[in-house]
Amino acid sequence: MRTKIRYVATALGLSASLALVGCAATASDGSGSDAPTSIVIDTAFTLETGDPGRNYVPTGYLVSKALYETLLDFDGSDESTPVPGLASYTQNDDATVFTFTLEEGRVFSDGAPITADDVVFSLNRVKGMTESKANFLMAGIEVVKVDDSTVELRTETPSLKLPALMTNPSLAILNSELVIANGGTTDNSDAAEEFLNSTSAGSGPYVLDSLDFESQVVLTENEEYNGPEDIDFTRVVIRSVSESATQKMNLEGGDSQVAVDLSGDQVAGLGDGVNVFSTPSAQTIFLLVNQNADVAGVTANPEFASAVRYALDYPALLELAGAGSEQATGVIPPSFLGALTDGVEQDLDAAKAALEASGYAGETITLEYPNDYPVGGVSFTPLAERVQSQLAAAGISVELAPAPFTTQIDEYVNGREAFSIWFWGPDYADSANFLPFSAGAKVGLRAGWTAEQAPSILELAAAAENATSMDEREGAFSAFAKALQEQGPFVPLIVPGSNIATADYISGVAYNSTWTMDIAELQAK
Amino acid sequence: MGKNTRARSGHPARSPLAGYLLRRLGVSVLLLFGVTIVTFSLANLVPGNPIVAALGEGAASNPATVAAYIEKHGLDQPLPVQYVNYLANLFQGDMGVSLRTGQPVASDLAKAVPATIEVAIGAIIVSLAVGVALGALAAYRRGKLSDQLVRVISLIGLSIPTFWMALVSFNIFFLQLRIAPGSGRLSPVLSPPPTVTGLYTVDALLAGQWVTFMDAMAHLMLPVFVLSLFTIGLLTRFVRTSVLEVLDADYVRAGRAKGLSGPRMLFGYVLRGASLPILTIVGLAFGSLLSGTVLVEAVFAWPGLGSYAYNSATSLDLPGVMGVGLVVGLIYLVINFAVDLLYGVLDPRVRLA
Repeated sequence: MRTKIRYVATALGLSASLALVGCAATASDGSGSDAPTSIVIDTAFTLETGDPGRNYVPTGYLVSKALYETLLDFDGSDESTPVPGLASYTQNDDATVFTFTLEEGRVFSDGAPITADDVVFSLNRVKGMTESKANFLMAGIEVVKVDDSTVELRTETPSLKLPALMTNPSLAILNSELVIANGGTTDNSDAAEEFLNSTSAGSGPYVLDSLDFESQVVLTENEEYNGPEDIDFTRVVIRSVSESATQKMNLEGGDSQVAVDLSGDQVAGLGDGVNVFSTPSAQTIFLLVNQNADVAGVTANPEFASAVRYALDYPALLELAGAGSEQATGVIPPSFLGALTDGVEQDLDAAKAALEASGYAGETITLEYPNDYPVGGVSFTPLAERVQSQLAAAGISVELAPAPFTTQIDEYVNGREAFSIWFWGPDYADSANFLPFSAGAKVGLRAGWTAEQAPSILELAAAAENATSMDEREGAFSAFAKALQEQGPFVPLIVPGSNIATADYISGVAYNSTWTMDIAELQAK
Repeated sequence: MGKNTRARSGHPARSPLAGYLLRRLGVSVLLLFGVTIVTFSLANLVPGNPIVAALGEGAASNPATVAAYIEKHGLDQPLPVQYVNYLANLFQGDMGVSLRTGQPVASDLAKAVPATIEVAIGAIIVSLAVGVALGALAAYRRGKLSDQLVRVISLIGLSIPTFWMALVSFNIFFLQLRIAPGSGRLSPVLSPPPTVTGLYTVDALLAGQWVTFMDAMAHLMLPVFVLSLFTIGLLTRFVRTSVLEVLDADYVRAGRAKGLSGPRMLFGYVLRGASLPILTIVGLAFGSLLSGTVLVEAVFAWPGLGSYAYNSATSLDLPGVMGVGLVVGLIYLVINFAVDLLYGVLDPRVRLA
């Protein structure tokens, strides 16, 4: 009898526990009839620091953008023209002196006013911390205080990219007094990172509540914020969810309200109750055809690159990329100044003629690519297989040589790959990011393309770099992109889409190539 | 003679157990030392440039940043010097700074290990309860329909890819049936309990946060279910085989002949007799659960040791890889040690040996 009673009690206890577990599970679905004041954003974390001055990774930018403000900003998805952020600006005719005037009355999250001293400290901190990944953004820029609300940024040579640079969240304006009190300096002795990992010191719409590099970041409303954003969500949880299939199910199940990393195929399968914002990203996936005969043999002949360029069926490649993607018209993606309107079209006769002129005699060419690093949902293995089959149809024999990203990238950056698939994205929203594709520049050299091999390209790149007016600049970048399209060792393939999916009651998603989206702009309909 | 002599000369007699423990401790330290050598060598043999992987293309093109990075992490030193430096720091409790997270590896692991331990303990408890019951049932019903059924079930448990099972079960129980919560260790509306052990369930109880405890339990359900499927299959087959062997033993036959009842026979003789091999397999299964839950952790966004190991390896985060290697090595040593001690508890003959 006592045994039976024990069994019954145990069963009742288990039932009660399961019921409570069920209740907890139901309560956690995040749904409710009242207007929601909090949202959950799922993304595959790339987060290394809470210190904006040391950050250089996408999730870090997403977080920094919500916590901090920069001198300049972009309006929604329009990355062509910087607009005032904490300051407005003017420039001299030579585009070498940029004068920033701070907006009046703006304050940090502790109520302290934002002054020119904060700007000078924040920018000089990034410039002085050579160990910061963001350090190169401040290369060649001198910061000078004019008065309490005015700062000048000076460069040796014309630098029309500077306004776009000042939108980068790494160059956020910090509360200098607070940061200095917690170890902040303007050189490598800076010790404020730990403080900034637990407390934000900015003027953005949100403040940092908690930060865990492996699981989640929690933001709450900045009560002192007096900027232009009118936030709807007073609490934001940004979660680390590396598996995009899980992101999709969390969104569909109401456990999250925003999924950042869904592929084109995944968003196509989303049902009712979900909005999808699809747009071309700022990444360009391209083929590299090495011009160094020692590395590459026959591919070093420029005619071989032309043969590859005209042999490919670009719309067929684009099928692999899904929603939001476009054919790459050149190395500069479509949303940037100087991007070409039309890409290369397949021309098998031209490919055949170029192949003959190249001296190709049927050798098998090895195509290398990272096989564990999809870009914008585009996996390189199926892309490589399709390239292989299209080139085979044009008479070029290709064997595939995939490898992990971390192994492959070393070969790529050191120019040891004859023929490979890679990608390029901007560090800040400006076409100057694509000048490294020039002969003799960083990416050009990875393709074994030296300055001596293409002096005309160098001139075009210099003209784009040193332009002093926007009209002149746009023309120069277009000419640079066109020349690369015709004679460069790169064959741009795809600009993959960015697909941000949200619960249907959320609006205001605007893709940005650096900070993905501005969380403060998300609104409850 | 020896014992008394030592006692008279002022050296206290050491018990056999103390001697055994000391020997094991010494061997464990040597093994851990070996683990550091192997992990360090392997980590540095992997092709790839950790500087580019850690800094990214933009920063890696900036000579000042690269120089500062090399100096900060001592990468300009020859590998043997780097290894000695690592060991010297390790003796002071410093496992280095993760190149990926920028945080001390020790503090990263202090969060990742409890997350995995929590789910692994859940899985091993469920596996033990179900696996032993099914295995014993199958052995007792050898050749009958229930035996065949159990063998099929265990085969399924062993055969289904864990990653696929994780996705399917998440879809069914969370998305379709709505009886399980979403991914992660806690619902986003809740904050983690104050850290004492790092196990959310335990810490929530210690803090008296009942809702947090129930929510953490709810989030454990699916990962535990998926992870335990494989170990249930493994244990079931092992228990069946072990119990069958014991059932054929003379002392069991004698017990049966004397009329001992089923449950008394099972728990008093059969399972006790089969406990040593079962204990071995449980130890191994627990170790593999702690170190090999990468894909399940990815699906359930569980920030545990498996995810940390995977992320460290794929980003060439050598301090992270070293830290994981050490922790996993330590886990296996502790488990083996615990299993050996339990051998002695369960079987006095082992103790005497």
